[in-house]
Amino acid sequence: MNVKKIIAFTSIIIAISLILSIGYGFINPISAQKKQVTLTAIVAEPKDRWDILFKSAQQKLNEKHPDMDIKVDYRVLPYDATRTQILTAMAGRTPIDLVSLDQIWLGEFAQGGFLSDLSDRAKSWGREKDWYQTNWDGGKYNGKLYGIWAWTDIRAMWYWKDLLGKGGINPDSLKTWNGYIADAKQLNNVLRDQGIQGMHLVGASQSPDMWYPYLWMQGGDILKQKNGHPTKGTYWFPAFNSTAGIKALGFLKQQVDAGIKPQINHFWGQEFADRKFAVMLEGSWLLGTFPHEQWATLNQKIGMLPMFPVQNIGSKSATMMGGWILGIPETSQNKDLAWELVTTMVDPQVLTPMLQKEGYLPTQKPIGEGPYAANLNSTIPYYKEMISMIPIGHGRPNIPEYPQIADNIKQAIDQVYYGMKDPKQALDEAAAKSAKVLGW
Amino acid sequence: MLSKSIFGKAEPYLFLTPAFVILLVFLIFPLFWNVYISLHDVSLITLIKGWRYIGWQNFLDLIEDPNFQTSLKVTLLFVAGSVALQFGVGLLISTLLNQKVRAAGVLRALFIIPWTISAVIAAFSFKFIFDENFGILNYLFDKIGLQPINWLSDPNMVVWSMVIANMWYGTPFTILFLTAGSFSINPTIYEAAIIDGASKMKTFLHITLPILKPFIVINLVLITMWSVNFFDLQLVMTGGGPLFASTTASLYMYRQAFEFGLLSKGAAAGLILVVINLVVAFSYIKLLRR
Repeated sequence: MNVKKIIAFTSIIIAISLILSIGYGFINPISAQKKQVTLTAIVAEPKDRWDILFKSAQQKLNEKHPDMDIKVDYRVLPYDATRTQILTAMAGRTPIDLVSLDQIWLGEFAQGGFLSDLSDRAKSWGREKDWYQTNWDGGKYNGKLYGIWAWTDIRAMWYWKDLLGKGGINPDSLKTWNGYIADAKQLNNVLRDQGIQGMHLVGASQSPDMWYPYLWMQGGDILKQKNGHPTKGTYWFPAFNSTAGIKALGFLKQQVDAGIKPQINHFWGQEFADRKFAVMLEGSWLLGTFPHEQWATLNQKIGMLPMFPVQNIGSKSATMMGGWILGIPETSQNKDLAWELVTTMVDPQVLTPMLQKEGYLPTQKPIGEGPYAANLNSTIPYYKEMISMIPIGHGRPNIPEYPQIADNIKQAIDQVYYGMKDPKQALDEAAAKSAKVLGW
Repeated sequence: MLSKSIFGKAEPYLFLTPAFVILLVFLIFPLFWNVYISLHDVSLITLIKGWRYIGWQNFLDLIEDPNFQTSLKVTLLFVAGSVALQFGVGLLISTLLNQKVRAAGVLRALFIIPWTISAVIAAFSFKFIFDENFGILNYLFDKIGLQPINWLSDPNMVVWSMVIANMWYGTPFTILFLTAGSFSINPTIYEAAIIDGASKMKTFLHITLPILKPFIVINLVLITMWSVNFFDLQLVMTGGGPLFASTTASLYMYRQAFEFGLLSKGAAAGLILVVINLVVAFSYIKLLRR
């Protein structure tokens, strides 16, 4: 009797399930046949920006592909861990569909065969002209496109208006090397008793990044192409020890001689927000150290000069641009969809709200100057001034040997900071070491 | 009968098999793999391509690299300073805690806290403590009218700042280890010494230290090896600067492999560290066996 009851009960359950599933298929035939696709990504912190971008891009991608159920599974890692994790994944041939790359990593990843060549896809896409030239070129290595530079940052001069006022300093005098040095002495005299230093000078690992603008504004370069390489024919050769480089490093030496102390700890603008320095040359991310609710009135307290000090008034300034590039690993098993994801993420409609919230700068003209600019301009303090710096912005070389070259330059800067060598001697030695690294 | 005797002979080896397999997979294989990598040209660029055999070139490059030479000198200072302070302070505190001190258990628990903290967190804490502008140390110096010290930016000072941080972080292990060792000493020996009129110092020198000798040897070997291999503090606090003055050989190895992508050069530096560790361990054991 019990067995009969169990059989009857099971039959009813099966029948109901069948009816329901067939019925659901009639009501929603597409979803029943939807192909499940999960795109995987490794990206760098902070997480907020990726949450905004992936949510919006995933939604758009699903709308575009009603026959698919696309999900993006992304891991957000700290800066250094991102590079190591991507490399480990690539070495282990782990299938990953999207990675975020610092601009300086591109060369070694491309050269190592970890990244897909996107040149043909980008040609069919047809949006190349929307990018600022420097930013588009930053995604290229050896003439091939390996990534799309999604957003950028620039370095500029920030100052506390009241602290400059206390020192009786007109911000315009900060624009020249001589003025900057004189102001540093003046500010240190007035503010030191309050535990505030006049000017900030980077002594941490990224000190080369803050030296390059002086090199570029003098017409110098970090590296130049040269013929006669023993194995590569034409290859990069150190150019930073030129007259321009020596002058540029001479200006850093002048700053140290004037009593500006190189700061070995770097808190990415927090030290400025904490009023430990009256003037700081720092990236646009400095704005992020102030609460968003203060952004609307920030220009009443904080001033900004869209430049690095120049040798003579009227000379052209320069700045350095960083930022993140989106690339598709060679191991991706969904390259077409991954490309769609990348192009959706950099679509101005998707990207602009994220830039607006996080305070990043665009690499695309339609966002920087076009119809989307008004929104950003009204939200991000000094947005127009920061955008005006993009034409004078330079990127660092993205060749595989760059990290070692930057380390040599950092050593040269330190030797000058600590009075161990003069700029020419320090740069010549760094150039000789860098030439060896480059295989000369 | 025969099978029983074969099993009897094989039994100890069977029991050892799991441990041997773990050693083989997690220690011996990576060590030989490291040797293999160090003899080839492996970098990020060649990682998934063919690896060229280059013999001892990576080792020769290291020996010729002035930065590696500097890193060995820095390692010597860092390890000597760290071991001396960790052992000296650890021995002192563990000896004091073994006296009839009130709340010795609570104090022991408190002293262990630094060792339970992640090295990275300790490094960040000391980065702030030693900061020349915001740091508490220079603030206190200023309050008592002393000149501030460039803890992290003076190339002659920075390694000693690292030693202080490492002392704070590593001393609890010595306290714990030597306290455990001193618990193993039979109290009647001390009672006999007191009856014979031995002073506290004599008791310490002629009873405590000799009995603790095996513990001291192991402790010294371990803290030396850990200090040789330690790089978290240097990486977080200064990144090895200024002018490589805080770049120890372990940090040099990390930077070669993971910052510059020169995996085989990093592997070669790692092997040199293994040799240093072995030499140190054998030297201690030989010295203290006398």
